[in-house]
Amino acid sequence: MSKSSPRRSFGRKSIGTVTVIEAKVHRSSARNARMAFILTAVIIGVLAAVVAAAYVHPIIALFIGAAVSVPCGALAWLLVRIWPVLRLLWWWTPEIVLAVLLLTGWVQLATHTSTLVTLAVVAVVLGVPAAVPALRRQVVAWVWCLIVRHRLRVCFAQFIIANQSGSLPLILWATPTPVGERVWVYLRPGLSLADLEGRLDKIAVTCHASSVLVERASDGNAAYLRFDIKRREVLTATVTSPLADVIDPDAPATDRPTPVIPTALDLPDVQAPTITLPVQPKKQTATSANGSKPAPAPSSDADDLSDWL
Amino acid sequence: MATASAPTAGIPVGPGLSMFDPIFIGIDEFGQHVYITLAYRNLLAGGEPGGGKSGLLNTIAAHAALSVDSRLVLLDGKLVELGQWEDCADAFIGPDITAALDVLRRLQTVMNNRYAWLRAHGRRKVTALDGLSVITVLVDEIAFYSATIGSKQEQEEFVALLRDLVARGRAAGIPVIAATQRPSFDIIPTSLRDLFGYRAAFRCTTPNSSNIVLGHGWAEQGYTATDIAPTNQGAAYLIAEGGTPRRIKVAYLDDAQIAGIADYATWTRRPTRLSAPTGTRVDWETAA
Repeated sequence: MSKSSPRRSFGRKSIGTVTVIEAKVHRSSARNARMAFILTAVIIGVLAAVVAAAYVHPIIALFIGAAVSVPCGALAWLLVRIWPVLRLLWWWTPEIVLAVLLLTGWVQLATHTSTLVTLAVVAVVLGVPAAVPALRRQVVAWVWCLIVRHRLRVCFAQFIIANQSGSLPLILWATPTPVGERVWVYLRPGLSLADLEGRLDKIAVTCHASSVLVERASDGNAAYLRFDIKRREVLTATVTSPLADVIDPDAPATDRPTPVIPTALDLPDVQAPTITLPVQPKKQTATSANGSKPAPAPSSDADDLSDWL
Repeated sequence: MATASAPTAGIPVGPGLSMFDPIFIGIDEFGQHVYITLAYRNLLAGGEPGGGKSGLLNTIAAHAALSVDSRLVLLDGKLVELGQWEDCADAFIGPDITAALDVLRRLQTVMNNRYAWLRAHGRRKVTALDGLSVITVLVDEIAFYSATIGSKQEQEEFVALLRDLVARGRAAGIPVIAATQRPSFDIIPTSLRDLFGYRAAFRCTTPNSSNIVLGHGWAEQGYTATDIAPTNQGAAYLIAEGGTPRRIKVAYLDDAQIAGIADYATWTRRPTRLSAPTGTRVDWETAA
């Protein structure tokens, strides 16, 4: 007992004051590539040797394994070394494909048609979307979809550091909405919806947007999120009901008996000692703009607090 | 109302809507349409005067009026907010608490009869296939009936009857849609207010008022109707199917559109009401 109690207190103390120093270790690309080379070479070499041993002498099989493993390891090393470039190319794939298509089209057009025809085609291709508002808005919306994926990636790379290896979330599909864009994102380990909700203002700034909302896109997977980037406000628009269009405009108007038109519509017309219930004043002021009643008067905070009692 | 003015040409054809259908009430902040199903729900709308409450009520009333399986009971202390629906409504009560109490008592009887009917059939709630009408009760300005007009006793009876409707009417197909400016405890008892499942908060002046409409704690989470611009009438926070408030803009029907829909609804509804003497409100207890 006497021996265990100091140990326990020591243990508790060490637990209470334990400080785990987790330096942000960004493994260098070179080291990653070396590890990839060794791992790939060993695994491929062993597998190749085992398979080869079924056909040839084990010692020769070892040599075959070594011969196969070195190029494979080298390939893995190369892939890891150029991975940042590959990743960059992948991020910009839509733009690269678009640029290649446009340039190819331009070159083909220029070589196969006369200058006038070329210019005419270019004028039509560029001019029609620019001139037709609906097309123009659609094109602009798609361009924003391309832009916003890069801007979101900038957010994650610059100020939402997820984990030690700095892996970025997968920015998936983006689609235009009436207010901006909607982007689906698959989070990597180290981030959560709550982390992002505290940084929406910064994300909005980075995306050149008015505000950003984030919510879960899937009930079954917390990593699958949906960003709503808002650039415009639609709630200020006037919304009409579709019910006004479904009715038959030729419907006969209902015959309404003319109601008794109240008189005494002004203050001097009403005598002071009217003791009737508020029915009568109600009818008289019905035509005035203000139909509110004094009942829900603004009240103090103390009153508000008592609402919850 | 006179049958003599019945159309000579054309057979009235209703649009085929049902109160069990989702009701279009506006758009959300992403521009998507917002639909709510009110057949089994109660809705409470609150917010400052001129916020757009009556726009919401009128949109719901328009759907109910055009629905084939619907009856409208309107209580409007201001007469003008829902007044245009008078001809297609089965009851329209102005600033008259005695009439309001009468119609609520009748509704209570209908509700009791429907529950007895459901029990007899071994069922628990009315469905669209039952052929029973959904009796939509729209109350504009609850405060007028519960705190302003009539004697204390009448006001209390009004609140008690309405609470009974809100509490039990759901499964019997009697949804209550009520609007008032600030449903604080001195206007509506908290026990009645908290029964409303769906909430719509139009612009409020204080976060507390917003909390009173939406429910305690939403303002602290950033859902407060004070951030709605005073000029943006019809913008609101709605708690419906999703469970969390979302910003919506309520569809707006102008007077001419309401008059057109009301006339059309009256036209399509009249054949079903021919059995009842016109000129008086239809007694729907027999229909129920």
